[in-house]
Amino acid sequence: MTTATIEKQPSGPGAQPAVSFPPPSKTAPAKAGVLLIGLDLGTNKSCVLAGPTGSTDITVSKVVPSVVGYVKDGIVDGIITGNARILYGQEALEQMLHVDLVAPLDEGVISRPEAARDFMQHIRHLADPSGRAEIRAVVGVPANAGEQARENIRRSVQGIFSRILLIPEPFLAALGYRDDSRVRQPGYVDPVVNSLFIDIGGGTSDLCLVQGYFPTRDDQISIPFAGDAIDALLFDELNRTYPNNGLSRITVREIKETHSYVGPSRKPLDIKVVMGGKSRTLELGDSVANACNALIDKIYPALTTLIASASSDSVVTLLQNIIITGGGSQIRGIDTVLQKRLADDGYESPRVRLAGQDFQRYVAMGALKAARAARENQWQVLLG
Amino acid sequence: MSTLATLSALSEALLRFEPPWIEVGRVYRRICFLRFEGMASEAQAIEDTEFAEAAAKARRASGSEFEADSVLNALLADERERVAEAVAFAEVLVPMLSRSLPGLAPSAAAPPAAPRRARMPAHDASRGIADFIDDMLAQERAGPR
Repeated sequence: MTTATIEKQPSGPGAQPAVSFPPPSKTAPAKAGVLLIGLDLGTNKSCVLAGPTGSTDITVSKVVPSVVGYVKDGIVDGIITGNARILYGQEALEQMLHVDLVAPLDEGVISRPEAARDFMQHIRHLADPSGRAEIRAVVGVPANAGEQARENIRRSVQGIFSRILLIPEPFLAALGYRDDSRVRQPGYVDPVVNSLFIDIGGGTSDLCLVQGYFPTRDDQISIPFAGDAIDALLFDELNRTYPNNGLSRITVREIKETHSYVGPSRKPLDIKVVMGGKSRTLELGDSVANACNALIDKIYPALTTLIASASSDSVVTLLQNIIITGGGSQIRGIDTVLQKRLADDGYESPRVRLAGQDFQRYVAMGALKAARAARENQWQVLLG
Repeated sequence: MSTLATLSALSEALLRFEPPWIEVGRVYRRICFLRFEGMASEAQAIEDTEFAEAAAKARRASGSEFEADSVLNALLADERERVAEAVAFAEVLVPMLSRSLPGLAPSAAAPPAAPRRARMPAHDASRGIADFIDDMLAQERAGPR
């Protein structure tokens, strides 16, 4: 239950009583011990931001690999810090020899419910180490996520969070990207008013038309092709070109994260790797280009579909506000290649931009903003 | 919770306060409902006028400023909790009623239709994030198309 705040009246006869109500009327009451979380639950990486109600402070901001490591039987005491049975995120990856690594999500949705639940416990612990706060979380979901995917998230946080709201990720990215301090300034182009967001994650690429109202299903397209699919293509290509190379998926992902690009092949792209204990240099110009350009081929039709659905009055401005975010925004040249392709196809002065260095956080930032703005009756209460 | 029990709890709660404070509680309850409905400006208008007037009257009838603060504090907390419970109760009850009384469903419990696709971007600066969430929840209630 909340408590009212009574301010002393200003001095002077006849002054009206000054009763200040609990924080802004549109937000949830500032209940003692309530902690708000904005969570971007990603296939490869998750971002959690947390902060109290009634302020704009962010007390926790972390990007965590979405992985749970269950310590294998028979590991000698002392190998794992504190002899923990479960490790999370980076620590699990660092101990991969000693744990069974489980990724709770696949293609943006929960595929391993028990691991997802363990991972959510970890997220809660990161946000609220004391374990005493009442947690209310806004969690991003892929555009057009089905009811089963949503239900899986709700079940994974039951008893861990007290209230939840599930909101499509690209819309949250737009909210997160929006600079609230400039919204009313002349010349500021509010991304929530007329833009097209492309959020390229690990499991899915989500495109969303954001035009000042909450996007309908027709305004969102989710493609199960993103960072992981590029990894898989590159992995297969490497195995064809360099059989028995022994490179792990994780190493291939690191190669992609460092060298990915789209557009014409850039050769030579010489990459040093260790194979069978020996250092070797691989020429991967074509392999990386083929894998990454496949993403463009998947995204482009979805992009033009959404552009075609915009009204003729809004489309010119919309073409100036195509924004790429998520890990895929780090692929070199992705903005210029998409922009050129649109221009070559006759679209009027398209401008494709990258969201910028906070690309891993925009969804969670939007989620935390939504958590702070949500009305009391908008939260979904989770039964303990 | 039965209707009888609800009424009994309400009358018990009201008896805890003197009439001027009961009026403050009534006005504040309306403010809480308006806020739950997202009608912030309407709530603010009542807060600035009717509520301020009723609270001032109740304060004048109180023995001391400390007592007035304590009563007001308790009253507002009670009303907020009561409204939150009423809203939660309605959220459970309305779907049950619509299932058991299908004839009522179209008028009493039909989910609002999903917002129709705007032809133009809606550049309404007064629309806040909570309004977007309302749109989203309305779409979810309407179900997949």
